[in-house]
Amino acid sequence: MAEDLVLDTAIRDWVLIPLSVVMVLIGILRYFVSKLMRSTSQVPDLKIVKEGQVIIRARNLRSAANFIPPKSFRARRVYFSNEENGLLHVPKGQAPNPQAQMFSDPNMAMDMMKKNLSMIIPQTLTFAWVNFFFSGFVAAKIPFPLTQRFRSMLQNGIDLSTVDVSYVSSRSWYFLNLFGLRGLFSLILGEENATDDTQRMMQMSGFGFDPTKNLGAEKDSLDIIQHDWALPKFEQRAEKVLRNLIR
Amino acid sequence: MAGHNDSSVSEKKSSQAVDDLPTFSVENMQNNMKVIYYSRTFLSIIGGVIAGILGFTGFAGFIFYFLIMAITSVGLMAKAKFSVHSYFDSWNRIILDGFLGGLLSFVLFWTFAYDIVHIF
Repeated sequence: MAEDLVLDTAIRDWVLIPLSVVMVLIGILRYFVSKLMRSTSQVPDLKIVKEGQVIIRARNLRSAANFIPPKSFRARRVYFSNEENGLLHVPKGQAPNPQAQMFSDPNMAMDMMKKNLSMIIPQTLTFAWVNFFFSGFVAAKIPFPLTQRFRSMLQNGIDLSTVDVSYVSSRSWYFLNLFGLRGLFSLILGEENATDDTQRMMQMSGFGFDPTKNLGAEKDSLDIIQHDWALPKFEQRAEKVLRNLIR
Repeated sequence: MAGHNDSSVSEKKSSQAVDDLPTFSVENMQNNMKVIYYSRTFLSIIGGVIAGILGFTGFAGFIFYFLIMAITSVGLMAKAKFSVHSYFDSWNRIILDGFLGGLLSFVLFWTFAYDIVHIF
């Protein structure tokens, strides 16, 4: 290829490799910092724990519903969801306002802020660092051809329209690292890291998280479940086995 | 004797009915899925490095990725002793799950190794 660019080996030694190594190390650092900052000493509210346990029990009943006889299932369902004193039944008007609850408990907001900060700060810092030191380098070349549409994505920071699209600027190499290293992190840090991001997303979206709403949803799904006993002939079968044993 | 024979037949039927039910332990299955995810990620990273060192460009690299993933699927199947349904609820789990998830890691390490070895 005649139009091949010749890249200086110094770029490899001082841009490409350091950038990747720093990305990995910062990812690991971020993991441990967020682990440290996760406050563990706060005592959870009794009522919230109770409701959480009830929800887990109801969920277990729902997932294993087909393995108990219809009668037992109905009895348990009534226990959970009857209108008078069922565990999942929330009387109207008693539901606490989640917003007020959050303001009364500053720990909660604090926790959320810490988590978000531990995610945002390293990213902005690394991005600023990359921008400051490595702006304008052609740092890498991806080994497959791409169309012109990818130019703005891969040559972020270079304003040359004649360079082949498969050459990657250092800033875009940073973005490639940011997304591509996720798999590596999940390997070296365990699954906790892989789930961390999604958990954070969940928390961010469920800002005004309301446990009583959860109770209601669980109650509804328990109410509409179709019971279909999976082991209808089980008693006869057990009888047969026992009889054979006696014989 | 006939009665006994008869009962054994019906017993077999009922036990078959029990076996036909999809009875999976959720935790075990999640663990299996995790194992699949890890092995796919690991192999896509290793495969990326290998593809970069060997200097594959363009289409050949992606074919190499699909080859690696196919080998992974066969390996997982062999690990499950070819009785997939006793470990997973469907074939898709072992063949398709995480197929595209490793692609980004693969491309990154492919590019990295390729640049270090061939470009400079």
